Amino acid sequence: MTATTTRPTLLRRALALPQAKIGLALTTVVVAVALLGPWVGPWLTGHDTTGFAGKPFQSGGIAGTDGLGRDVLTRFLAGGLTLLIYAVLATALGLVLGAALGMVAGYSGGRLDSLIMRGSDVLLSFPQLVFALLAIAMIGPEGWLLVLVIGITHAPRVARVARQSTVAVKDADFIRAARMYALPRRRILLREVLPNITGPLMVELGLRLTYSIGYVASLSFLGLGIQPPTADWGLMINENRIALVVEPWGVLLPVLAIAVLTVGTNLITDSLASAAARSSDATTSHTAKEASA
Amino acid sequence: MSLDNHDTRISRRKFLLGSAALAGAVPFLSACGGRSDAAAAPTGPPKRGGTLRVGVTGGGASDSLDPHSPVTNPDIARVRNLYEPLVYRDHDFEVSYLVAEKLEPSADSATWTATLRDGIRFHDGRPVTPADVVATFRRIMDPDDPKSGAASLSMLDRVTAKGDRQVEFHLSEPSAVFADYLGQYSLGIVPADFDVAKPVGTGPFRAESFTAGLQSRFVRNPHYWRPDRPYLDELVLINFTEDDARINALLASQVDAIDQVPVALVDVLRSDERMRILSSETGTWLPFTMRVDRPPFDDVRVRQALRLVVDREQMINQVLSGQGRVGNDLYAPFDPAYASELPQRTQNIAEARRLLAEAGKSNLDIELVTAPIQAGAVEAAQVFQQQAKAAGVTVRLRRVDTTTFYGDNYLKWDFAQDFWYTRNYLPQVANGSLPDSPYNETHWQDPEFVRLVRTADRTSDAGKRTRLLKQAQRIEYERGGLIVWGFVNQVDAHQVYVAGLVPDRTGLPLSGYSFGHVWLG
Repeated sequence: MTATTTRPTLLRRALALPQAKIGLALTTVVVAVALLGPWVGPWLTGHDTTGFAGKPFQSGGIAGTDGLGRDVLTRFLAGGLTLLIYAVLATALGLVLGAALGMVAGYSGGRLDSLIMRGSDVLLSFPQLVFALLAIAMIGPEGWLLVLVIGITHAPRVARVARQSTVAVKDADFIRAARMYALPRRRILLREVLPNITGPLMVELGLRLTYSIGYVASLSFLGLGIQPPTADWGLMINENRIALVVEPWGVLLPVLAIAVLTVGTNLITDSLASAAARSSDATTSHTAKEASA
Repeated sequence: MSLDNHDTRISRRKFLLGSAALAGAVPFLSACGGRSDAAAAPTGPPKRGGTLRVGVTGGGASDSLDPHSPVTNPDIARVRNLYEPLVYRDHDFEVSYLVAEKLEPSADSATWTATLRDGIRFHDGRPVTPADVVATFRRIMDPDDPKSGAASLSMLDRVTAKGDRQVEFHLSEPSAVFADYLGQYSLGIVPADFDVAKPVGTGPFRAESFTAGLQSRFVRNPHYWRPDRPYLDELVLINFTEDDARINALLASQVDAIDQVPVALVDVLRSDERMRILSSETGTWLPFTMRVDRPPFDDVRVRQALRLVVDREQMINQVLSGQGRVGNDLYAPFDPAYASELPQRTQNIAEARRLLAEAGKSNLDIELVTAPIQAGAVEAAQVFQQQAKAAGVTVRLRRVDTTTFYGDNYLKWDFAQDFWYTRNYLPQVANGSLPDSPYNETHWQDPEFVRLVRTADRTSDAGKRTRLLKQAQRIEYERGGLIVWGFVNQVDAHQVYVAGLVPDRTGLPLSGYSFGHVWLG
């Protein structure tokens, strides 16, 4: 614990890295577009997301119209919010669920560990997108289901990382001390174990968020995610791809936004991973020095 | 089955341009199609010879050469060129004679006699006999394995041979419009010993090779009954499941013609001097279907109000990019009995609101089930949703996939859509508007309507029949469950050197997939 309290936080160290700054800038731009777009769009273009601005696939306005004659720019500006909300919720669900299962498995060991991890293995054996497609095909394209399915498919991957990290710290002196004081297991996990595995979990957070964005957009593209007439980047790509030759903006704008967003979150994740690795090296060398002394 | 032997016909310039298109340079390619490169459309008398390569939408591993069970577009295209029914609808949607040269009803319309064309032969040179026709209909209506053509022949009791060239159709119920029912591409005449592995018919082409899901190669039928036809030596039908691939293949001159051009790309192809667009006005329709036996649609005021919220012109412009004609909540626009005298219904929000208020449904909230059952279906649902807002009607879209749409709940959805090709009034009614119709989506069973169409079906006097059918249409117009907002144009494209393709009203692409009269300039 000493190492984490006396040195700058992992996030601060990660953000000091140049690639993190680029990642943060890219992410901020897209998130700002997604958050403000639904309100700025109609004001900027004079059209709402479902009204007709002209004939289909015409070049009027800044970015032309889509296949139903709706303004592409308005729909683009409004199309990121739902995707972002679903991606964040799905990631949060996967992280909380996975971290809880992984920590319990790693800390408890024995049969509970085997049970949880073998259960995770079963889920891991399904490709994530295939699992999501299966669930949505059975129940229907509902927003809550999208979040639930993507979250659940993230959980085993997070659980593996959380378990591994928990096993690494569970026999540390401060945990043994906590056990000696007969602290309840939940408290040990939340107060002692969790703060010491935030590094790998932060990396997972970034990674899973990137995947979530990709999955929500892919499912919408396939017609199984966000439903028309809602403006959504994944859906826009599908709706407008036939006219890539005529009116490319309907595809290019959402593709660029999704690409920039995932590159941004990836760069931040990479920085977090680098910072966490350096922190782990520093802790190891610090411990080694103490031991040799 | 490769296309290698076609490469000799493709100039190097075309080949290079084609490669560029396939490499993703379609916009560039279109922009570069200069006038100097443009070929002139062929003129003068038709020329013999050459191979026509056609890109056809859809198809898959279950493709077949069965004359009586075509399912996908490539199936239909094959059936149209290998086989011929006794009669068929021509490009103007008039009955024309193919294997038969005459089809006449008895005085009571309960027996119809077809006279076979003199000297008509199958691909293998054998003459077509009445026994072949009887065997064909036995195969179609086999109770253990009825083919798709059997669906509209429920009134056909038995078929018998009469002399050397005649066949009699005995009906269980008299029908004055039996020719309408017989004129289907899935009723092709085949020999009594027909084997789908050796597909023999009387069509302009005979099968040379066929690979399900990929392509089929047909060659000229030397025994074809029309003198000098077909003009082509060879016809190659190639499956394409993706719009992009089909259009790129046309731009790259890998095919000579394609069906189903997405309406958004019509102008792009039209601006390319090497291409021609074939746009056909059809009777194809994509209705919204309201179940008249389920609330709130069981109230005729609600149905009429929803018909009044539709801005039909806007539907045509936004959904079909203008490639269609407005509808008047009636189908079968090419039927001589079409009720064109009924006033064209237009958007009337005030009247719609009044009707809804009268029905106690001022803030109507309904679910519309939509699916990509045909190009424009999901789009039409979205435009309808937008238009209904003006009358205070909330339409919640429930988009399902096509399999789900046509699954267990098909014909049970309260408010949904459907898709129909061109038909005349009575055959369409038999399919979808009678209590015993196989596809009565709206559960329409108006007793007065049923009485009128049943009487009309038995009435051989054309004038009297027309009057009855117009009355029946008025009933549908005033209280029916269909919102027929428009008729969809069929839009296809071909290279400028392809001649003989003409607009076709049937709704089938590329002149009804009839390539017997096509030639290459």
